[in-house]
Amino acid sequence: MDFRIAIIAVLVLVALAAGFWWRARTGRAKLVRSGEIVDLGKLKASRAGKPVTSFGKKATLLQFSTEVCSICVQTAKYFKELESKNPDLKHIEVDLTDRMDLAAHFNVMQTPTTLVLDRTGKVQARIGGAPKPNVIQQELAKLEIK
Amino acid sequence: MSNTNQQSTPKGLDPRGPRFGAAITSVLMVLVIYLSLAPETINLALGIMIFSVAMFVFGTALGPAKHPYSYLFKYLVRPALKPPTALENATPVHFAQFVGLLVTGTGLVLHLLNVPYALPIAAAAAFTAAFLNAVFAYCLGCQMYLGLKRIGVIPSKS
Repeated sequence: MDFRIAIIAVLVLVALAAGFWWRARTGRAKLVRSGEIVDLGKLKASRAGKPVTSFGKKATLLQFSTEVCSICVQTAKYFKELESKNPDLKHIEVDLTDRMDLAAHFNVMQTPTTLVLDRTGKVQARIGGAPKPNVIQQELAKLEIK
Repeated sequence: MSNTNQQSTPKGLDPRGPRFGAAITSVLMVLVIYLSLAPETINLALGIMIFSVAMFVFGTALGPAKHPYSYLFKYLVRPALKPPTALENATPVHFAQFVGLLVTGTGLVLHLLNVPYALPIAAAAAFTAAFLNAVFAYCLGCQMYLGLKRIGVIPSKS
């Protein structure tokens, strides 16, 4: 076989493997043991133009986004839908494009990154990439949200 | 990346358009790799690379909605498809064009400076990103944007 064909075949296989690996890995929850309590004062998040001053009654989904992230938009839409069904759940989205301080503090390397917070604002789990719906439901069930 | 804000407001893109463009880029990059690895066809590879760089220049300067591939998609492919279920924000796609320009442009310049294997290596990198986008809808540049900015590759406004 022509060595050039072999090189291209290897490249395609590596790209396919990377794609399947990414697909399997993205959107899964990593449990955070002894997570910090998120400081809303430092977060300076706002919703509909008003500053966010409290967490959800039972759980909060804190989503980090950037302006160049298309799955962030879909993720936010999905979280808003969940929020509208659960009065005890709150969705907070923070755009990190110009908030490198927060990106460094929470060590965010990809967007969306979602932190699942309990009623006190303590980080329970961290999800990199577009969250899989069953993953979110599982995490919320732990915080007594169906 | 200067006009990102004016690009993000209009109605949005059919997400299949950029993936169609990425599929074309994947095929072109495979051709570049194949042709650049034999001395008698390397200039053909160079021609295809120049064309690809030019396409990324269009995409970066005009935005994804006015990209030549997007017209191909609009008139040749989209009529055969169902309407899109959701529209996509143009800013991430615009950024991806810029990343593509950076990768292919670097390969082209290094090749012209006689760096050996600059063309196939740059083409392999561009192929990987375009292929992942076309097949898995994965936007490498979009996901890495924050990471690149944090390590200082992308300058911060603030």
